[in-house]
Amino acid sequence: MPSDAIQPILSLRGIHKSFGGVQALTDVSLDLYSGEVVALVGDNGAGKTTLIKSMAGVIRADKGQFFFEGNEVTLSGPAAASDLGIQTVYQDLALCNNLDAVQNIFLGRELTGPWWSGFRVRRADCERKAHEVLQRLRLSGISLTRNVGAMSGGQRQNIAIARSILWQPKVVLLDEPTAALSHTAAEAVGKLIRELASHGLAVLVISHDIHQFVIDVTDRIEVLRLGRKVASFASKQVTGEQVVSAMVGGNEEPAGAR
Amino acid sequence: METPSTTQDSAHPAAVDQRRSFGERLSSDLRLLPVAAGLIVLFVFFATQSDVFLTSRNLNNLLVQSTVTGIVALGLVFVLLVGEIDLSVAATSGVASVLMSKLVIDAGMPVPAAVALGTLSGVVIGAASGRWVTLMGVPSFVVTLGVGLVLNGIQLVLLPRTGRYNLLNSGVEKIAATNIAGASAWALLIIGLILFAAVRLSTLAARRRAGLTASAVQIIVLPLVIVGGLGTATLLILAQRNGLPMPLILYIGILGVTGYVTTETRFGLYLYAIGNNIEAARRSGIKVERIKITAFAITGGLSAFAGILAASRILGVSVSSGGGIGGGALLLESIAAAVIGGVSLFGGRGRVTGALFGALIIATVSNGLNLMGVANEARLIVTGLLLVIAVSVDRTIEKLAGGAQG
Ligand SMILES: Nc1ncnc2c1ncn2[C@@H]1O[C@H](COP(=O)(O)OP(=O)(O)OP(=O)(O)O)[C@@H](O)[C@H]1O
Ligand SMILES: [Mg+2]
Repeated sequence: MPSDAIQPILSLRGIHKSFGGVQALTDVSLDLYSGEVVALVGDNGAGKTTLIKSMAGVIRADKGQFFFEGNEVTLSGPAAASDLGIQTVYQDLALCNNLDAVQNIFLGRELTGPWWSGFRVRRADCERKAHEVLQRLRLSGISLTRNVGAMSGGQRQNIAIARSILWQPKVVLLDEPTAALSHTAAEAVGKLIRELASHGLAVLVISHDIHQFVIDVTDRIEVLRLGRKVASFASKQVTGEQVVSAMVGGNEEPAGAR
Repeated sequence: METPSTTQDSAHPAAVDQRRSFGERLSSDLRLLPVAAGLIVLFVFFATQSDVFLTSRNLNNLLVQSTVTGIVALGLVFVLLVGEIDLSVAATSGVASVLMSKLVIDAGMPVPAAVALGTLSGVVIGAASGRWVTLMGVPSFVVTLGVGLVLNGIQLVLLPRTGRYNLLNSGVEKIAATNIAGASAWALLIIGLILFAAVRLSTLAARRRAGLTASAVQIIVLPLVIVGGLGTATLLILAQRNGLPMPLILYIGILGVTGYVTTETRFGLYLYAIGNNIEAARRSGIKVERIKITAFAITGGLSAFAGILAASRILGVSVSSGGGIGGGALLLESIAAAVIGGVSLFGGRGRVTGALFGALIIATVSNGLNLMGVANEARLIVTGLLLVIAVSVDRTIEKLAGGAQG
């Protein structure tokens, strides 16, 4: 447990979650810090997505506590999480193919005119702001006015990430952002994730790409196996083999501190 | 906020947009092109086949003929956009027109109140169907098929023993019989164009204020020339006779409002979002159920109003109002109009102007073949073939656009 001067932005303590007979998470604790990129790795079914969903308020943990900036919070729903400043990018991205980047980035949070205009979408203001967000992320190559259905997987992933940081969140959770991407597109997403951290966000990213993405992009690696946190590594001081053997349960590393 | 690292100019990425293929543009901003081209081909064809076709009197008939189907089709766009369908639109129009007639004839209610109540009945019917669909999660085509039959039954119950309400001299007939001519007609056109220009102008001004690229020609001049040109042409043609028929004015008014709602407002945007990816819409915090119910209510209300307009035009209501049992030609043609106009049955794609063109195409085929002395059978066959061609063209455009969507 970190007792440094730096306070974690989000802390999980003793999280349990079961689905019927399946124990998906057992006594998981985790700390996320501003400006740090943490990888969450583990075999299929290890509980990674379940953990992210519990932090996003999509599912309720059976037991355990969440602390946001040191205060205990209840993540009763997705709105509660996003009100705190926790944003999630799911694996399916949740984009509308028939809408353009601006419309997708603002979906559900449009800037609108007064009631007598029928809540007219302030398109120009949305476009301006979307443009700024993309610039901030060094993504100005993405067209704002093309339907995202006609875009590449990498561009779509980038738009989904841009969408998640629109209202300046403090924590971003990403579920396998590189799963369907080519090597170059995955590298670009990795750069983007570092960019988020450099703006002071805490980032938690799930990935199966241990050897490239996880080792290169993240600062810290947390390993889940069968719903338990079994190891924690500093990315710079570990090899892919060590991480993988912790995932599948070879010779176990003691859960080292950061 | 830090400065961009890219060497590209920080202005708008217009250069990126130009990479859009023709196919992609055909599926979005230019989607009306093939439909409009089809309409022009039909016009040229019938003009060569019949001397009467292009006369003021006939074009007046054609336009008025298209209004009832057209308004129902405009209504259908709302449910189609969210990926649902309403098969009770024709039955709703029938029941609403009979209800309105009953209120006027039997209860002596003033016409405006009866028209309002009739329209409201459609809103309530649509909202109820929508509520049921979203509550039970049952497919809307089954629910609304059932609702349609229920409404057919209610229509028979509401009708008097004679099976008919005669609306001649009831005051209702005045709605369809009114014509606006001369200076008033021009004034109406100019008011319409000013409203249209105002919306476009505010778009341009907002873009300028936000420091975005904004071409006055593209945003204001071109649209205004097209809309103004079409309006002036219509007025000039119809002025030779009695002026602008009220059904047409109402139709264009509804077109303007529904066009604004679907393209400019947040509600309109949500219709498209829900139709394409309902799960994404829900996760974005959009109240999916509420939007869907509202869409059904709008469809119901417009169908009811179209039915009332039809009653006013044919001076009465009977068993066959609203296309008769099962919805008949009115139901099929209004769905066909929307689909021919490029509105997808799978949700998320299409525009109200498409429904307008679709309705015009159907009315033109019907009117033209009629003038050529072709029997009714042929008319059905041609309309059916047009529908098949239209969806095939639509599919091809989608493939050209390369948008990988179902
Ligand atoms: N909604 C649910 N209902 C029942 N069981 C569930 C549900 N969600 C997850 N589980 C179970 O919980 C366990 C953990 O699943 P989870 O999706 O979190 O794994 P994961 O680590 O994300 O795996 P993957 O790498 O395959 O995405 C699995 O055994 C899964 O079957
Ligand atoms: Mg998962």
